[in-house]
Parts: sequence; C-alpha cells; structure tokens
Amino acid sequence: MITNPNIPPDVRAVAADGTQLRYKLMELSAQYPDAIALGRGDPDLATPAHIIAAVNEAVRQQRTGLSLVAGLPELRQAVALKLRQENGLPVTGDNVIITTGGQEGLFLIMQTLLDPGDEVLVPDPRYTSYDEAIESAGGKIVLIPTDHDDAFNLRPEVVEAAITPRTKAVLIITPSNPTGGIVTEDRLRAIAEIAVKHNLIVIADEIYEKFVYDGWRHFSIGSLPGMEERAITLNGFSKTYAMTGFRVGFVAAPVNFIQAMTKVKALTTGPAATISQYAALAALTGPQEPLHEFQRIYAERRQIMMEGLRAMQLDFSEPRGAFFLWTNSASTGIHATELSYLLLKEGRVLIFPGTGFGENWAGYLRISILQSTELLREAIERMKPIIARYRAAH
Amino acid sequence: MTPQTLARPLAARVAGLPEPEDREANPPLSPAVARAAEAALAAGHTHYTDRPGVLPLRRRVVETLGRRCAIELSADEVTITCGSTEARFVALKQLARRGTTIACAASSPSVAAVARLIEVDCTAYPDQSDPVSVVYLTPADEPDRIQALLELAARAEAWIIWDMSVDAAENCFHPAQNPGLAPRTVTIGSFSAFLPGWRVGWMAGSQMANKLRAFKQSVTICSTSVSQWAALGLEEEA
Repeated sequence: MITNPNIPPDVRAVAADGTQLRYKLMELSAQYPDAIALGRGDPDLATPAHIIAAVNEAVRQQRTGLSLVAGLPELRQAVALKLRQENGLPVTGDNVIITTGGQEGLFLIMQTLLDPGDEVLVPDPRYTSYDEAIESAGGKIVLIPTDHDDAFNLRPEVVEAAITPRTKAVLIITPSNPTGGIVTEDRLRAIAEIAVKHNLIVIADEIYEKFVYDGWRHFSIGSLPGMEERAITLNGFSKTYAMTGFRVGFVAAPVNFIQAMTKVKALTTGPAATISQYAALAALTGPQEPLHEFQRIYAERRQIMMEGLRAMQLDFSEPRGAFFLWTNSASTGIHATELSYLLLKEGRVLIFPGTGFGENWAGYLRISILQSTELLREAIERMKPIIARYRAAH
Repeated sequence: MTPQTLARPLAARVAGLPEPEDREANPPLSPAVARAAEAALAAGHTHYTDRPGVLPLRRRVVETLGRRCAIELSADEVTITCGSTEARFVALKQLARRGTTIACAASSPSVAAVARLIEVDCTAYPDQSDPVSVVYLTPADEPDRIQALLELAARAEAWIIWDMSVDAAENCFHPAQNPGLAPRTVTIGSFSAFLPGWRVGWMAGSQMANKLRAFKQSVTICSTSVSQWAALGLEEEA
C-alpha cells in the first residue's frame, strides 16, 4: 500500500490496481492541454487510407448487418492464411474466431479454459489486464519473474519450477508489454517441451509481433511440433495497423476450443462490429507498405528515446520489440508512482509507473514511443531537469 | 493437419451453454447514419475512445431516458457498450453473486444462459428461500409481475436490471422513478434495432456505475469508435 503523502489521495486510492492507476493518470493528464502522452499504447499514426476506404465502401454497399458470432467467414479464412504463411501455424478458418479486440480475446480464452483454482503462469512484469481476465474466470495468477539482465526473456527453468498440479496454462507474451523483451526461439522450443511434458496449454499473446528491432525476429510457439493440441494464439489489428478504435482481434486454437469460445462470446459481447471486420479484412489483404512505414517510424523513435534516456543516465534494457522502453528509475530514489505523478505535474509528460504493471516494479517506468519525433524530443527535454533534480535530492 | 481438440478439458462452465444463435439482421441503413460514419472516418475517429464512450452519445442516452422515463442521470453515469449483449453480461456478472439467484419476470433464455456462464441460478418464479441478488425486468413484462418482483427487490435489497433493449416502444414506467430503488437500478439498452451489426449499446445508473464501467473496460476496453459516432447519426435522424 502506498502511503507517500506526495502522491494525491485519489491516485493513492487506486495505486494497488495497475489498470485503475493507469486510467487515473490518463484522467489527470487530460487536465493539461500541453501534456505529452507517453502512456497508453495507442498508436498516434493515422489508420492507413485503404482501410478507411474499405469501411466507407462497406457502408455505401450497406454491408453492415450482423455477422456470425465467430466472425465473417472471409476474414476467418484470411486470418488462417496469414497464420499459415507468416507464423507456420497449421490452421484453417475453423480454427479462428474474430474478437472485439485482443483484450476480449484474452477474456474469452480465460472464461473458456479456466475452472476456479486453475493456475496460469504469467511473466512479470505484465499488462495487468491478464490479472483481471484470469481472476474473473476464478483462476489464479502465478508470476514468473523476468529480469533486466536477461533482456526480460522468459527462462524455461523458472517456468518449470513454478508448475504445480493445478497449473493449467503458461502465458507467453512476445514481444512483451511493458518490457519490449521477446521470448527467443530457443527458449520457446524449451518451453514447448515443458508444456508437452506437463500437459499444459500455451497461450501466446503475439499482439506486437510486427514490431521487432535490431534484427530480432518474431517466432510463434504454435508452429512447433506438439503444439497443435495445446497452443492458443492471440493477436489483433489494433497495434499493427493503428486501428485501436475498430476493436477487432482474433484467436486461433483447436476447433473444439473455438466452438466453445463462440458460445461464450455469443453471451458476453456478440459478434465484432461488421464494419470493423471489413476494416480488418482490408488490413490483411491490402497493401502492406503502410505497415512497413510504421515499422520504420517506430524504429527511429525508439532510437531517439534510447538516446534521451542515456542522456538522463537512466538505465534500461534495449527493447527488442513493441512500443515501450521499460526504464529503471531507481537511481532517482523516488517510488515510480510518485515519479510519474511529478513528471506529469511538473513536466507535463505522462508516463506510466512500473507499478501499473505489477506491484514489484516500483523502480521502473514504462515510456511509450507513440508520439512524433518532435514531441518525443520535447518530452525528453522536459524530463531531464526533473530527473536530475530529484536524483540530486535523494 | 488442422488442430481439432485441446489437450486439456475446457472450463466446466462452458458445458451445456447453448449453441450461438446466428441471426440475419441487416435493416436498411439510413443516410444519416452513413453520413455520420463517413464523417467520423474522415475526422480520424479510428482510435480508442474514452473508456466510458463518446460524450455526445452518452448525453443522448441521458436525454432519451429523461424524455421517455422521466428519470434524471448524468452522462458520467452512462457507459457505451458493445451492444446490449455486453451491457447485460457486464451487469449480471458484476451484480449477481455466486450462489445467489437471478429472478426474471418471464422466462428469458438469454439471461438463463448468462446465468449458467457466471454460475448463478436463474428462475422466473423464485420462492422465499431463493437468495435473490438480481431482479431482471423488461418493459415488455406483465405489469403485475414487474410490481411483484420490484417489491421482492426492495425486501431483498437486490439489484434491478431494467432492460430496455427488448422493447423500443415509448414507455413512461421505470423502476428508478422510485427514489428508493434508483440507486440499485441499472438500465441497459441498445441501438441494435436499427444498427444491429454496429454493436452499440449502453448501461446507465446505479451506485455500481463506476464498477460496471471498469469491468466493461477489462472485457473490451471501449466500444467501436465509428459505431458510436454512427449511432449519433441515428439519433439525429430520430
């Protein structure tokens, strides 16, 4: 529990809940018109024009009626084709369900898989929506520590040591939010063997798969031998194509799991919006040049922010993927929640504290690169004197 | 080979869930809705909205409830959902405690199925021993049954879900007109009669409004942005 009097009571009141803490800071940030938001993982870039055009065309042709709960058949097939060709998964459209964003995919997976008391191994730090999805299904989270010295990769021996008779699944998040770490192919192969040995389900969140840097490459654990009957792959369109507001994602899994998920989805949210599904279809089947441009832009921004953090003498593990720099702020001597609040109040820069991604991370900040290069440079300049001042004072 | 069966059993709660009813629903799209959607796309409304939903649409919900039902709410008490399906699920999941009973005025297959998923009982005829935590009512229910279950809700201090999505007709009765019941009444509704594939619904009111909103956020973050702006076009036309 945070008792620091320098943090306002309304922030302290939600500090133990990572999700609510992040939203509270976003609310505070909205009070400052000149704030630079390096918080939420919402790409600032415009949704590609051909996706917008496809939605407009669907509206003009009145293709906006209710879709099947599992999604438009042509989109399910297009997703399956992508998974076969790019990720090496042996799937067809029957193995795919279209969801109302990746978040709902995660929620439905847990509702469909977990009985009360089932344990899920979750890398730490983590996006705390995993906690909510698991707990809502009556499941129990078992944290698997990852660390800076290992670039926040997942250690198979640590995973295996955490397995109990109640362990039902292991969650793989690669690239990772918030650390930017990836789980490398050699580690994934070892984890796949462990999953087979202990009869575990593997849930692979690959939502940031398209954003990897410095020659690292994304690898899907679902493509490995023995994974056909135990891999559940989660992904979406929001991050890849800068279209978070359409709320469309997908899950690939064995047919009986997809059928059960469809029953659950029919009762929880119904089908994804039809226009969103046409947007996703255009994203998958249309030109990929906009995505390549996004990749170039994010790589440049990542470089700018890394240089800025080095100038501030803040330590970090170079992110191998995703949109974030998971930055060690312990040298400032200030609890991350307080530091985030001060950076917002004094510098008008919104950055999420590490405690928004697990209670063990009071010495870390998650800094997103989802602003223009100009605003990133401005944010760095605003942060520098604040970091220096508080470091000197402590 | 296409993977067919997961290596471990699925959650017990999914056994016995009904097959999804895939409905054909594609009413003609009004020009005002099409214009609103096109304008939203042109304005770049393709990213997350605020967690509660876009403010103008929430205000429209408040105005509609005031006009039709003479109840006063603020836009802060409204959350836009992915259709009434999500609103109903969120409200039932958050308000019905495990081991308790949902009481309905009439047999409701959709509520019974959600009850099975969230592992609570559901009955149209509760007896005195049933631990009722939620009363689910619609404007289409028989007035006598509505009255009886509202009295039960008052006695049991149960939550009330007033589902306006199942009857779009003008109707001036609303449980929250009773000040004693208002804090425990969640109203849900949708725009699905005219926009079924756009997935826009809402939930409004009660002391639990913020908790319901937080849970909705954990399920889908927010509702489709373009759909929310398109629904405003529908309202303008009305």
